[in-house]
Amino acid sequence: MPGLSFPQGVVRAMDAIFVSLMNGIVYGLLLFMVSAGLTLIFGMMGVLNFAHASFYMLGAYFAFALQPLLGFWAAIVVSPLMVAAVGVLVERYFLRRVHQHGHAHELLLTFGLSFIIAELVKLFFGNYPVNYRIPKSLDFSAFTLGGSDYPVYRILMAAIAIAMFVAIYLLLTRTRVGIVVRSAIYRPHMAEALGHNVPLVFMGVFGVGAGLAGLAGAIAGAFYTTNPNMALELGVMVFVVVVVGGLGSLAGAMLASLLIGVITSLAISVDASLADLFALWGARDWAEGVGGLLTLKVSSLSATIPFALMLLILLLRPNGLMGEKA
Amino acid sequence: MKTRITLLLMGVAVLLAVPSLVSQGLVNAAIQMLIAALFAAAYSLLCGQAGMLSFGHAAYFGMGSFATVHAMNAMGGSGILPTPLMPLAGAFGGLVFGAVAGYFATKRTGTYFAMITLAIAELVHALSPHLKGTFGGEAGVSTTRMPGWGIAFGSTNEVYYLTLVWVLVSLALLYLFTRTPMGRLTLGLRENVHRLRFLGYNTHGISIAVFALSAMFSGLAGGLQVLNNEAANYLVFDPSLSAAVVLNTYIGGVKVFLGPVLGAALMTFFGYAVSDLTQSWLLYQGTLFVLVMMFMPGGLAGLFSLLGRLYNRFGLQSLIPIVLLAGVSALMFTAGVTFIVEMLQRLFSQDYQAMAHANASMPWPSITLLGKSWSPAAWTTWAVPLTLASVGLVCAVAAKHWLHQLTSREEVAHTAFAKTSSPAGAAQ
Repeated sequence: MPGLSFPQGVVRAMDAIFVSLMNGIVYGLLLFMVSAGLTLIFGMMGVLNFAHASFYMLGAYFAFALQPLLGFWAAIVVSPLMVAAVGVLVERYFLRRVHQHGHAHELLLTFGLSFIIAELVKLFFGNYPVNYRIPKSLDFSAFTLGGSDYPVYRILMAAIAIAMFVAIYLLLTRTRVGIVVRSAIYRPHMAEALGHNVPLVFMGVFGVGAGLAGLAGAIAGAFYTTNPNMALELGVMVFVVVVVGGLGSLAGAMLASLLIGVITSLAISVDASLADLFALWGARDWAEGVGGLLTLKVSSLSATIPFALMLLILLLRPNGLMGEKA
Repeated sequence: MKTRITLLLMGVAVLLAVPSLVSQGLVNAAIQMLIAALFAAAYSLLCGQAGMLSFGHAAYFGMGSFATVHAMNAMGGSGILPTPLMPLAGAFGGLVFGAVAGYFATKRTGTYFAMITLAIAELVHALSPHLKGTFGGEAGVSTTRMPGWGIAFGSTNEVYYLTLVWVLVSLALLYLFTRTPMGRLTLGLRENVHRLRFLGYNTHGISIAVFALSAMFSGLAGGLQVLNNEAANYLVFDPSLSAAVVLNTYIGGVKVFLGPVLGAALMTFFGYAVSDLTQSWLLYQGTLFVLVMMFMPGGLAGLFSLLGRLYNRFGLQSLIPIVLLAGVSALMFTAGVTFIVEMLQRLFSQDYQAMAHANASMPWPSITLLGKSWSPAAWTTWAVPLTLASVGLVCAVAAKHWLHQLTSREEVAHTAFAKTSSPAGAAQ
């Protein structure tokens, strides 16, 4: 813009904020891809599937294992299908068996399954990150901002996540299958009485949810690292997303994913501490004297912010930002 | 009742005799077993008796650890807290943190409760490495065990006896708690909160109290761990510790008081015993947990009480063949599966893969297991354990069928008896 020029420092700061905002949105969209399935399954069966993030990990490892055989794109298509099959098996032969014992029992069972999946992954692929990389053909920058290149792969991830959101939304709201699924979620007994095969719907949604998590893993595993801890690391974050967004709400999951992605991403770049806040009232010396939490940099707190947010939401608005069912 | 007390006294006698029976390394393992057992018992007060599923109990264990380590450094084993009483600092740490965390967590029930406990544990886990003053950063905080009450506490045996006394006293207290009115109310929390509230009880208050009590004994276990290790590190907040206590408790059997104690002691012992032999111990533990959750929700303790009931009903003679068959089938299944897992583990290990890739033209080198070498390309290597496992599975199904037949035969006999003896039966 002619006639309007910012000082160099401000421009650089704005670029940095813009980049971390973008990164946060992409990470948030990735969180959404995993949490969408989780929240749908919870809304439907009342089970919080502890093994859901394990499906994400399986997606990454399957894609890594298939890549030499099929190539990158085919591996990304086949891997989620395999994960969906695993999900169907888990629902049919594990969860359905213990359904009679109640939700706590189901939660514990999925907890055990997540444990087994992590250990199996370690058994076959070792304890350390595997060399799952983006193919060379996709490894270029989309645009350059403030001297740093922005990888096109991030934009691709975001595009896939958005396409998925739109697809699920249209499927659930515009098609006959979607109506049956929503009714099975909302009033399972009534849907069953009307002649729909509700157990089959449950199995299908479980499989699709697992497949979506697998897709997210197959795509994101190449960009971030693929290691046996990725399920646990992402898993707790996904729980936070689902609880903050409201268990069972797809739109809530989207909102919470973006919120948490952006907050954690922005927090990393904030080089201030609570003592700086106290400095506004001239209490900096006191705060620094107290030490501990008050002098910690926000950037080093970024991993804890989501959990604090989750506690806050659970206490202030227990059903989440957009939750309906208590 | 009398046999129970005899059994209990015998158990205590064995525990007292442990240091004179086994090697020092095993005494150390026994200390770990005792600590894990107390932790599991404290956990099962919350999840078994009050029905509140916590996925973050490592937080209270860890708080107890750090409270003890700081108390040990501050007091040097003298003053009001001599070394033998140090675990009280851990109990206090667990109690305070548990009361605060419990206030928030028990505001909600069910899945939400589980999520809050998970979030609190993760919060502590993520925060603790950054608070260097309190948690000592990566290096942790170390301390020394001072002599107290005329005991040096230098040898493992002395620490063992100290741990044993604390664990037995705590277990006794936890057991006595279940006999108090408050302990009955705890069961009420699990069974029907609404009715409890209707009767005029402050259910939130009771929940906080139970949560804090459970956290207190967890903290005590953490304190004992610090007394043993003379150090505490932020790794005690690791989610794997929270996971281990859940697994141990349910494998042992959550419905019986000593079930979790048994489960934790056994699992810790096996973890110690096989740590040199296998790298897949956690996989076996997880598999055992899932099998327990699916087929035997009562856990190991539930299995024992089932055997006891069957024994009372059918006597030893008709039971022995079934139990033998079940035992043999379990053994065969375990042997087959373990063999396959261990073969796979070695086959996919980095060393082996590197070796196989180095000379790709050669056939795959064989793997040594159980003192014999097996070729991964030979079909017998896989067929033998697979057959073993499937035969075990078939035998298990047969044993189950047999047992079913036995119980149903008696029921048929009962109904037949009822039909001939009572006119109401004849009229049906």
